[in-house]
Amino acid sequence: MNSAAPRPFSLLAEITHRCPLHCPYCSNPLQLAAQAGELTTEDWKRVLTEASELGVLHVGFSGGEPLQRPDLTELVATAREAGLYSNLITSSLGLDRQRLEDLKRAGLDSIQISFQSDEESLADKIAGVSAHGRKLQAAQMVRESGMPLTINTVLHRANIGRLEQIILLAERLGAERLELANTQYYGWAFKNRALLLPTRAQIEEAIPIASAAKKRLLGKMEVLFVAPDYYSDRPKPCMNGWGQKYITVNPIGEVLPCPTAHEIKSLRFDNVREKSLAWIWKESEAFNRFRGTEWLPQPCHDCEFREADFGGCRCQAALITGDAAVTDPACQFSPHRKTLTEFVEASQNGESSLNAGELVFRQNAGSQGKGKIITAKNAENTKKQKAAD
Amino acid sequence: MQLPSSDMRPKLSPRARVQTDKVTGKPVVLYPEGVLMLNPTGHAIVSLCTGEVTFREIVEKLAARYKISSDEISPQVAEYLNRLRERNLLESEK
Repeated sequence: MNSAAPRPFSLLAEITHRCPLHCPYCSNPLQLAAQAGELTTEDWKRVLTEASELGVLHVGFSGGEPLQRPDLTELVATAREAGLYSNLITSSLGLDRQRLEDLKRAGLDSIQISFQSDEESLADKIAGVSAHGRKLQAAQMVRESGMPLTINTVLHRANIGRLEQIILLAERLGAERLELANTQYYGWAFKNRALLLPTRAQIEEAIPIASAAKKRLLGKMEVLFVAPDYYSDRPKPCMNGWGQKYITVNPIGEVLPCPTAHEIKSLRFDNVREKSLAWIWKESEAFNRFRGTEWLPQPCHDCEFREADFGGCRCQAALITGDAAVTDPACQFSPHRKTLTEFVEASQNGESSLNAGELVFRQNAGSQGKGKIITAKNAENTKKQKAAD
Repeated sequence: MQLPSSDMRPKLSPRARVQTDKVTGKPVVLYPEGVLMLNPTGHAIVSLCTGEVTFREIVEKLAARYKISSDEISPQVAEYLNRLRERNLLESEK
């Protein structure tokens, strides 16, 4: 089996699940890892070195909010020594001039800052915390330092109408890359999908705006737009195929073929505390379960597009049908497509305001008592409380 | 395709990093979310994108190295630079 394992190109290092933001579209698992269970600095250094030996070229430091870990600079330095191109995927909360200087000196190659919208009140409402103003300052600081900047905005019903303004903001901030990806419906986002999925009219309006920007900004700013697969006939070629290019290591050391593979309850994930990254990549059951196209079920197995999309997304299959080994229900040929279509049709009359419903905001592990759900309304109250403190 | 002006001095963007790939031993350009594997010509061109060397000089150097005429090689150099530009790997001209 191990001869079939190709070379991985990219490591997503989710170094913590702790995050100051509460975005209701977060794709982290509902069961977030607590700080006490996180890998140590030495564990992470070993993971980075092993990744490089395995052929990995890119590392994304992500989370949660990676700046929550004080050893981030040390990890960046290790990544640099190992020859990895490092990208910090951050909300920017916790970034100050000194920290930026330290990260730069350690060899950080680029920074990606998330913006929830171009407009402060909406952005802060989505983040569940007052963050937008600080993000603007951080982005400016990053550009002044000469560090390459990517802006990413997760799109959904409440902000997709501001696409044009979001693009202008990224231009104004001097970003070299802009990711406009619609919400992927896993984790917290799946819980909130009825309130997050844009209407068909919104998507139809957004696509030409994104294409025009892509053309206009060619050579100045790379623009990536990802439409929601709920509106597509074909599934996405998820992760460029299972176990083909990407490795995710989560805060507690589990190694996943994709960041949301925790949605597949039937899989067991090996841990870097017990096994080498190379063994897990080549030999583990989780990485081999859906690798290649041999395992594909019908209608994928005989489909002319099977090498184009590899049957789509395993996590989505698991979430929608309860079986990770069936065709992605986003595919028009899936017998489960009607489940998604019915959901899409039922979402067409939704309001685009965030107050319209009871969004479930992401919460860190152990905060505010178990199982307590923050809705839009009481997140507002929390915010007010904080402002009053 | 239209050739760039001969005194244009292409410069690799700071978001791009050139290094030798451990697995293949060949040069690669790394940039956010991307990898460009370089062939010898590509490597020669990228190495000259310092902001100091003009398009004309790059063409002449490559023509001398591969012993072909400048006229023949200049569209290829232009094409390659254009590919770098489309990936946003060249600093935009001021």
